[in-house]
Amino acid sequence: MYKKSPISERIASIRERYRNTVPTIMTERFKIVTEFYKAHPDLPAMKKRALVFKELCEKMPTPIHKHELVVGDLTSIYRGSALYPDCSAWMFENFRVTDPRERELDRYEVSDEDLEYIWSEEDFWLKNNLSHKMDNSLTPGFHKIVGNGVTTFGDKGCSTMPTGHYCVDFELVINKGFKAIGDEARAHLAAIDGKLYGEDAKKAQFYEAISIVSDAMLTYAERYAQEADRQAAACEYPERKAELEMMAKTLRWIFKNPCRTLYEAVEAMYLYQTASGLSEALHGTSWGRADQYLGGFYQEDLEAGRITPEYGQEIIDAFCLKLAESNRVSGSEVTYANGGYTSGQLITLGGVGRDGKDATNALTYMFLQSADRLDLHDPPMSVRIDDDTPEELWEAAIETTKRHGGLPTFESDNAIIPALAKRMSLEDARDYCLIGCVEPAGAGDEWPACGGSGQESFWLLSGLANQAINNGENPKKGPDGKTTGQTGIATGYLYEMKDFDEVLAAVEKQMDYFVDWHIAFTNIHEYVVAENAPLPVISAVMDGCMESGKDVSWGGAKYNSTGFAGVGLGTLVDSLAVIKYMVFDKKLIDAKDFLEAVNSNWEGQEELRQTIHKIVPRYGNDDPYVDEIAKWVADKFSAKVSAATGPRGNHFAPGLYPVALHVLYGMISPATPDGRKAGEPLSDGISPVQQMDKSGPLSTLKSTSVFDHSEFPNGTLLNMKLHPKSVEGEGLHKLEALIKSYMDLGGMELQFNIVSPETLRDAQANPEAHKDLVVRIAGFSAYFTELFKGMQDDVIYRTEVEL
Amino acid sequence: MVNIDTRGLTYDVQGFTVQDGPGIRTTVFLKGCPLRCLWCHSPESQRFDPQISYMKMRCVGIDECGLCLAPEVCPQAAIKAGEWVDKPAEPGVQIQLPELDRGKCDDCGLCAEKCPTEALFMAGEEWSVDRLVERLLKDKTFFEHSGGGVTISGGEPLSQHDFTLAVLKRLHEEGIHTALDTTGFAKWEVLAESVPYTNLYLYDLKNMDSKQHEQGTGVPNQLILENLEKLGQACADFNRKSIGDYSSAAVAAADPRQVAQIQVRVPVIPNYNDNPANFEVMAKFCQKLQANGALKIIQLLPYHNLGVAKHERILTQGQILEAPNMDDSHVEPLAEILRQAGLPVQLH
Repeated sequence: MYKKSPISERIASIRERYRNTVPTIMTERFKIVTEFYKAHPDLPAMKKRALVFKELCEKMPTPIHKHELVVGDLTSIYRGSALYPDCSAWMFENFRVTDPRERELDRYEVSDEDLEYIWSEEDFWLKNNLSHKMDNSLTPGFHKIVGNGVTTFGDKGCSTMPTGHYCVDFELVINKGFKAIGDEARAHLAAIDGKLYGEDAKKAQFYEAISIVSDAMLTYAERYAQEADRQAAACEYPERKAELEMMAKTLRWIFKNPCRTLYEAVEAMYLYQTASGLSEALHGTSWGRADQYLGGFYQEDLEAGRITPEYGQEIIDAFCLKLAESNRVSGSEVTYANGGYTSGQLITLGGVGRDGKDATNALTYMFLQSADRLDLHDPPMSVRIDDDTPEELWEAAIETTKRHGGLPTFESDNAIIPALAKRMSLEDARDYCLIGCVEPAGAGDEWPACGGSGQESFWLLSGLANQAINNGENPKKGPDGKTTGQTGIATGYLYEMKDFDEVLAAVEKQMDYFVDWHIAFTNIHEYVVAENAPLPVISAVMDGCMESGKDVSWGGAKYNSTGFAGVGLGTLVDSLAVIKYMVFDKKLIDAKDFLEAVNSNWEGQEELRQTIHKIVPRYGNDDPYVDEIAKWVADKFSAKVSAATGPRGNHFAPGLYPVALHVLYGMISPATPDGRKAGEPLSDGISPVQQMDKSGPLSTLKSTSVFDHSEFPNGTLLNMKLHPKSVEGEGLHKLEALIKSYMDLGGMELQFNIVSPETLRDAQANPEAHKDLVVRIAGFSAYFTELFKGMQDDVIYRTEVEL
Repeated sequence: MVNIDTRGLTYDVQGFTVQDGPGIRTTVFLKGCPLRCLWCHSPESQRFDPQISYMKMRCVGIDECGLCLAPEVCPQAAIKAGEWVDKPAEPGVQIQLPELDRGKCDDCGLCAEKCPTEALFMAGEEWSVDRLVERLLKDKTFFEHSGGGVTISGGEPLSQHDFTLAVLKRLHEEGIHTALDTTGFAKWEVLAESVPYTNLYLYDLKNMDSKQHEQGTGVPNQLILENLEKLGQACADFNRKSIGDYSSAAVAAADPRQVAQIQVRVPVIPNYNDNPANFEVMAKFCQKLQANGALKIIQLLPYHNLGVAKHERILTQGQILEAPNMDDSHVEPLAEILRQAGLPVQLH
């Protein structure tokens, strides 16, 4: 029987501080990196990244805050955010236009002096950041297709997000440590030095970089140990003093030696991730199968009498709170996509082990317990479901998600393992984790580049419908009343098409064309990163890199793929169904009039728009009329994307998930033929269009599993709305059966908001009374009251059920 | 004989109904009921013919639409411009809604046909047995995974007995667990005929006092109680034939699709049937059902006021009880009376 236990006083006070602290932008990292880059314009990229990391490890503050048990921070103060001008220079203009202290969402404190200092370095960074190099690497054709409404990149200010969405091999961090990793790199270097045949010269650069960053890690841990010493010496409370001394000892042991206890392993994981945040920022840096890495240590601690279950839980609480606290300031426009200071550091729980047997352990439950009892929206968690998932885990997971939208998500081993086994060994596929939002990937042995170019990684299926019926033009008009002109293929206008097959043919042509452009952009991004900002801090602990002597960005990981996320499946499918039904099958409207109605944003056409909503079969209702179109779109899209190749000898991996960009990209998308008005959200993941799932959850699950999910190894996402009444009492087991049924139909991922529309409306009106209400958006969970109204409304529409 | 050519009138077919029997279920709500319960939470289930329903929340207002105001759309002139309200999701923006004069409306349905937003819609859809069964079989995967199935509810499904029996029979042949949600107010012969195809009866017991029963529901309770007693016996007979035993233990252990059981449902209504005396009589009565192994459980459903909003939607002229939702703590002592009598009880 699942039980939610109370938290300790210490954890309660840390949580209180977390909930009541507005994060602050700090310039410590900015300053160190600026001075280093200015002093060393001459260094080659690999050495530069290694040495700037060394500099950061030697100079960055190493604070230990009051009550803390798990330590590691990217600034000197609690809930501070570092800045990454070496990655992108977005902050200069953005802070000028919108003062971070006054923005609507994800407000930040920052001192006037720090802002002045930041701007004083603007000139230097505008020419020396990675995004600038990206802008200068685009090929001539890019300038002609910008504004097409399908791809989401522009031709300047590209790739402002740091490299992200991956999972390193934490078992190397825990069980091997950086002393041994550095030694291994030095041995490799010694073995080839003086005889650099073939690619060895490049490898030598790599091994030297690994040696530098590994030593820097040891320095960083030692400096934290010194801070623990200092605080222990000054501490008046014997209990805390002893704890600080224990922490100092731990910090001196980890990284140099294999970990021996749960606490050591947790601290090693956290400190590594912090250090990697000094270098590459936090962008979907995932924790892999944390329960698997830690379960054995916990068991041994218990058996040896080293800890109590309560203390073990407290360590996990402290770890989860550190993740919740951590944040990275992003541009004010990005906060509309993933508000709530979320850093998307996903933890994967449960599922089968490398031997194929269910591997649920005590830690699986302890992570869920922390999420539940701390009322956190971050870190996100995913539970892997296999044939033998224990009943207790079902119960714990469902009880947790009842109170916390999307925590955890439910992932099907039976769908994901075969999908990944197409590119990795069965054992490695079984060992998969979820990264970023909902993307399956190898745990510590794959460079999946899902968030590669940041928000430009997303690609709007919804825009294809407009392109296909407007002769390759995005009908969206700018402030001057004009469109951007032809950006796609000239496939003719809707009124020139003789039948629906011609519409589909046009969609396919536009799809092929824009997939290729997106691939081009992504591969240029890869080139820019590999040449200018390789990733030795990540590569040091990624399987395959040490053996191959290659950075992850050079293809060194054991497995490689590139994620490709399609957004707005439901919007496209419904748009096509509406065209088929209204224009061709039932001939209820002339094609020219229909096109005019869509392109004029349904101005004066409310009756037509509502009629469309009323009579056309819509995706999500188990109706073959439209579900066949969904299958057609999904099949074409996955085949086209999967066939494309990246520079690391890899194939692209299609996915269907939007983080929460379906709202942001909806805001800038023109009206679509499905009756959606300009500015309204696009459909999310593989979910039906908002409020068009009129036939209840069973029909939705039938429709959304109509296509083969295993062809989407980068993940699918289905957001379901349920009324709390439906999971009362026995309802819990019915929800379990519902999830199992979906997975048996081939469904890959499922997540829930179990909250009534009344509660959500009340939370909009009285935010203070619902401060801890967690809802799932698409790729992440957030405190409802910290979202902007457009996003809140999207959640409310998703939960509009009639009893 | 089961008549398979018959047609049925529903007001809803809903998937993932979690309170109408075991597992994941799809429930068919048949329209029309001989009872008029004051607390009825589905007023649209009462009449035996299609009727206009009006969900104001969906209307976009007469400025933007107003189709329903055209004279040819309402020959009875029952629709006119009505109140101004805040537009849903756009507070501050006011829209004017049409108003429906239920006294004049003859439910011809023209306005529902015209209304693009489905704010005005017909409650009442006609189905053939084949089409309904085909629709229900779409959800088979979910039934198999959850030990669920189909529930035929109402209204009073036995008021459309030809159709109900035909559907139950077809589902039974498909190996699907069936439940029948009934008031018990039907001819015994009809109820008896359903036993071979019905795995679970959700049988309402509202008040053990016939006079009070009539005050609350419009009909006395003799027929209902007699039928329930006979049904207990019929279930036992069926189980003996089907699995060779009729004891509670044997029935509980059997495949639920091979037995017939009764789940007694008691809506607990404030100041109507929530008195200990009623439950003491009920306990005695149910002990007889328990003795012949047919009683699965007694389910107590505390009053909730969801029906009030639906009542407004359907604009029923009859009364509806408006009271605060009942707290579990109020029902607990009543449940205890049943438990003391050795009966299995479940709240909600």
